[in-house]
Amino acid sequence: MLTSIPGNWIACKDCDLLLERVATPPGGKALCPRCENPLYQHREQGIERTLALAITGLLLFIPANLLPVMSLQLIGQETSTTIYEGSLVLFREGLYWTALLVFSASVVIPLCKLLLMLFVSGYLYLERSSPLLPYAMRYYHHIDEWGMLEVYMLSVLVAVVKLKGMASVIPDVGLYCFIGLLLVTTLMSSLLDQDDVWEQIEHSQGRNPA
Amino acid sequence: MQTTTARDLGLIRCETCGKLAFDVDHDGYQEHYPRCHGHMHMRATNSLARTWSLLITAAILYIPANVLPIMTVTYFGSGSPDTIMSGIIQLLQIGSYPVAAVIFIASILVPLLKMVALLILLLSVQFKWMLDDRQRTRMYRAVELVGRWSMLDMFVIALLVALVNYGSIAHIVSGPGATAFGSVVVLTMLAATTFDARLIWDKERTDD
Repeated sequence: MLTSIPGNWIACKDCDLLLERVATPPGGKALCPRCENPLYQHREQGIERTLALAITGLLLFIPANLLPVMSLQLIGQETSTTIYEGSLVLFREGLYWTALLVFSASVVIPLCKLLLMLFVSGYLYLERSSPLLPYAMRYYHHIDEWGMLEVYMLSVLVAVVKLKGMASVIPDVGLYCFIGLLLVTTLMSSLLDQDDVWEQIEHSQGRNPA
Repeated sequence: MQTTTARDLGLIRCETCGKLAFDVDHDGYQEHYPRCHGHMHMRATNSLARTWSLLITAAILYIPANVLPIMTVTYFGSGSPDTIMSGIIQLLQIGSYPVAAVIFIASILVPLLKMVALLILLLSVQFKWMLDDRQRTRMYRAVELVGRWSMLDMFVIALLVALVNYGSIAHIVSGPGATAFGSVVVLTMLAATTFDARLIWDKERTDD
């Protein structure tokens, strides 16, 4: 009978197959032999990269959200909108639930993801420990799929085409910051090695708190 | 092929941090895993029942989402409420075929295919249909991956209502269809999350 779990044992998320973790070559990716689910990937300097991207992302987040993303010109008048303004208008029109949904997916959750990653990678990079690290990483894991900046980007393009016949649409400074933010957050999510972060969090729990 | 699952050895995989632990009291549940302070479940609790209820609610809301107007565009006095489909037809009329295709895929095809896929997954697990397990897992992963793109139309509405605000000359207001559609997107995403893909493979255990 099994008395202790070998450290290199893992189970597939999608089919529960028990496997032994083996080293992957640089750039290599391990797939589950039974259901082809990606298990883990080889990554280097994960924490530094994550920290750098989280800081860059937060810096870009401010102009991307405060500056107008696009302007519309019609009969000599110009209107412009920022990312959060759309949700505000929806809220004023009484579609509270829709406004909340749009606001969360385009502003709140991307911001929370950046802040949580800054916290986790910052602490791990400085080799400090905090009892809150596991919670931060757990919340990140749960809200991950609800941040939808890339979908928002596509919707900007769609909106431009829809308005083409009605008025002239001009992309604004905020849009360029937003594109930068999108690239940074996408890189951050795809380069993040969650297994490695958990490994390091577990390791850091033995150290004295900062 | 070796097919020992974690469950076969009485192990639970933590769904948050991926670590394995013993199912000490053999009830398929362990509280507070020390590494991530998460609860651990051998299999997601009431996975099928939860997914069924979310899916059925989404399917019901799919009707108002498509029938009710998602927004009303008023341009030089004349305005007409737009549903998702009529918006796509208008895009076709002005010749924006690629954009019309994108919205058709994101707003009509993806939610529909997603619900059908979840329905097949639920039925096949519930009634133990002999379908290819690998194909079904692939289908599940596709559902998980594309679901978010249906939010596209919600963001478009938010952008348009904020931008087009010229009083009687040009004005766009949102409609109740948007709420229904947003709910469909969220409910199907939740349904994909509550469905435990491991259930697809579990039946092997009862065979031997």
